[in-house]
Amino acid sequence: MADDTLLFSLKLSLQVAAIATVFVMVVGLSAAYLLSRKNFPGKELLDILLTLPLVLPPTVTGYYLIVLFGRNGLFGRHLYAWTGWSIMFTWYAAVLASFVVALPLMVKTARAAIESVDENLIRASYTLGHSEYWTALKVILPLAKKGIIAGTILSFARAMGEFGATLMIAGNIPGRTNTMPLAIYSAAGSGDRSQATVMVIVFTLISGLFLYIANKLSRRIL
Amino acid sequence: MGLTIKINKKMNGFRLDAEWEIGNELAVLFGYSGAGKSLTLQMITGLMKPDDGTIRLNEKTLFDSACNIDLLPRERSFGYVFQDLALFPHMSVWENIVYGAHGLSKTERKHQAEDMIDRFKLVGSVNKYPSEISGGQKQRVALARALIRRPDALLLDEPFSALDNPLRIEMQQLLKEIRREFPIPIVFVTHDVLEAHELADRIIVYANGSVIQSGTPIEVFTKPATSEVDILVNTRSRLRQAVETLPCTTVLP
Amino acid sequence: MINKTGLLVFISLFTAFIAAGTAIAEPTGEITVSAAISLKNAFEEIGRLYETQNTSGKVVFNFGASGDLMAQIKGGAPVDVFASAARKDMDELDAEGFVVKDTRMNFVANSVVLIVPSSSTVALTSFEDLQKAEVKKIAVGNPKTVPVGRYSDEIFQYYRISDMIKNKLVFAENVRQVLDYVVRNEVDAGVVYSTDAMVKQQEVKVVLTAPEASHKPIIYPIAVVRGTKYETAAKAFISLVTSDEGRKILSKYGFRPIVQAK
Repeated sequence: MADDTLLFSLKLSLQVAAIATVFVMVVGLSAAYLLSRKNFPGKELLDILLTLPLVLPPTVTGYYLIVLFGRNGLFGRHLYAWTGWSIMFTWYAAVLASFVVALPLMVKTARAAIESVDENLIRASYTLGHSEYWTALKVILPLAKKGIIAGTILSFARAMGEFGATLMIAGNIPGRTNTMPLAIYSAAGSGDRSQATVMVIVFTLISGLFLYIANKLSRRIL
Repeated sequence: MGLTIKINKKMNGFRLDAEWEIGNELAVLFGYSGAGKSLTLQMITGLMKPDDGTIRLNEKTLFDSACNIDLLPRERSFGYVFQDLALFPHMSVWENIVYGAHGLSKTERKHQAEDMIDRFKLVGSVNKYPSEISGGQKQRVALARALIRRPDALLLDEPFSALDNPLRIEMQQLLKEIRREFPIPIVFVTHDVLEAHELADRIIVYANGSVIQSGTPIEVFTKPATSEVDILVNTRSRLRQAVETLPCTTVLP
Repeated sequence: MINKTGLLVFISLFTAFIAAGTAIAEPTGEITVSAAISLKNAFEEIGRLYETQNTSGKVVFNFGASGDLMAQIKGGAPVDVFASAARKDMDELDAEGFVVKDTRMNFVANSVVLIVPSSSTVALTSFEDLQKAEVKKIAVGNPKTVPVGRYSDEIFQYYRISDMIKNKLVFAENVRQVLDYVVRNEVDAGVVYSTDAMVKQQEVKVVLTAPEASHKPIIYPIAVVRGTKYETAAKAFISLVTSDEGRKILSKYGFRPIVQAK
């Protein structure tokens, strides 16, 4: 019994965090690029919206996610009407929660990294006949690598540790949505000290291992 | 044929009003720092937009405010060398040079790059990074990168100003060679009168955002149009120095 | 730059504030009552009654799933009275010596109902109907910590539908959350106490009440927690709960008061 929960929740946590991080990288890098290199109406507002999940408590973020994606939510109700499916209480909701709370970390670090790229290099690329897209890919991104990698590591770590918003929209359903933080919460709450202790130790070791690998990799890439 | 500009721009209390025309020659934009020379270059390449005017290169209109034409930098066929060279620090010498050969086939790119490396004597440094090569080599990489696609004109924004004398003279010679091998308009910005004298087929004198004289070095040095030009050029003593230090100088009356 | 006087003033004010704070935290006879969340509405009213009757007394309520509350007490939470929705949680505390002798008594009984959102169009008339394909999600309490979750388990076993519906179950942390999920139409059905359904009559429809035979008797015990500093006040509160006035309030909210020691 205990092994089932441990293995399942560990696997789920890694899966959710990995997928959320992929989305965070795609959306986060695009947003960071837009915010650092473009001017458009509503830019300030977008910046604030993207940073909010960083300053709001996860439960507030979770509440907003319910308002938007719950079965009766702003978007959720249309999805339910078309497909008969709701994201609530599924592991996809856990991915969504992790994505939302980790996104600001990526946007902030990537933006700083992109802004630190020497403008002359970007201008040089344009004069050498290249498009904005090509320049972003071949000049800006490689030179902003450090910040982007830091952002990715932070995002993954945040996603792994997500609890509050996840509990609210994915629920704590054993065998389906109980990521490790949720499983530990259940075990501790129902007095199952031994299971909680085992999970806590495993989670700490895995996190430590992740940091070790991340450090090694970033040193190799940089 | 050649490069024709008639532009003006107002920004931060500074007003630029420049009009000149050059053919397949090496024209030097000369004047004090802040006179509008670099600004002119940036507008010619399209990195900055004039308030109004026209820019034409070899019968092709690059900018025309009246007709709403404003080509992107990559649509204008210029080779551009920045003051700080702007070599990509994360790319090797080879990759930097090849970066300029956008649009060519893979084999063509390789061929052109090898040609440039040969011409600019960079064989042996091909796999090195900008941080690992000398100042002179960096200059040559910048030039190779700018010229690899045989642009219709070459613009250089004070590229040699940070170099020490021996290297400076070497680069000036190199530029003259380029002038011979690439029959295109070349615009060179400098605030150094000796350099202007050494390189120019034509000198265009800038002061406070406008062109106050344009002519051959002899014309500008011996018949300064205004007292301003005179001061800039400082004809008497400076020219004597020039005559004494440079090997091939025209004899003056 | 921070000057010395300013710093001194700040430290004194800060210390005074903390001291005042701690002083305020211990008035005469403020008792903490941890109670199953299904008792929320009834107990809040009883609490107000308690405070009007005992002008020096105050009640602070801590509502939640009985299992969570029990774990808190075991963990040393300073609670004076505990009321749970099942005997199991009280038994556990009793076995470990957390209950003051002779203060424990069963005070109400309850029943369990199957509810659906009032806007639901799914035709449900029995627990077995939960197996229908149109029923995609069913909210129940987490059996580990929520008594109504255990009762739901027993009911599902009784009707032999446990295996069929186990993938549709959504676990909530307490019975009011189960109710909330149904109210919000996040799920197609839920299992709560009849007393909870009463609180949200507009938003939910009761399909049926689970027969007594399908689950263990739902008996709520209450007791004074060992280690309380206000034993008299705690006993006074329990007396009020089991008094006529208390029973009247509980009945109003749908509970069935019982008089039965242990």
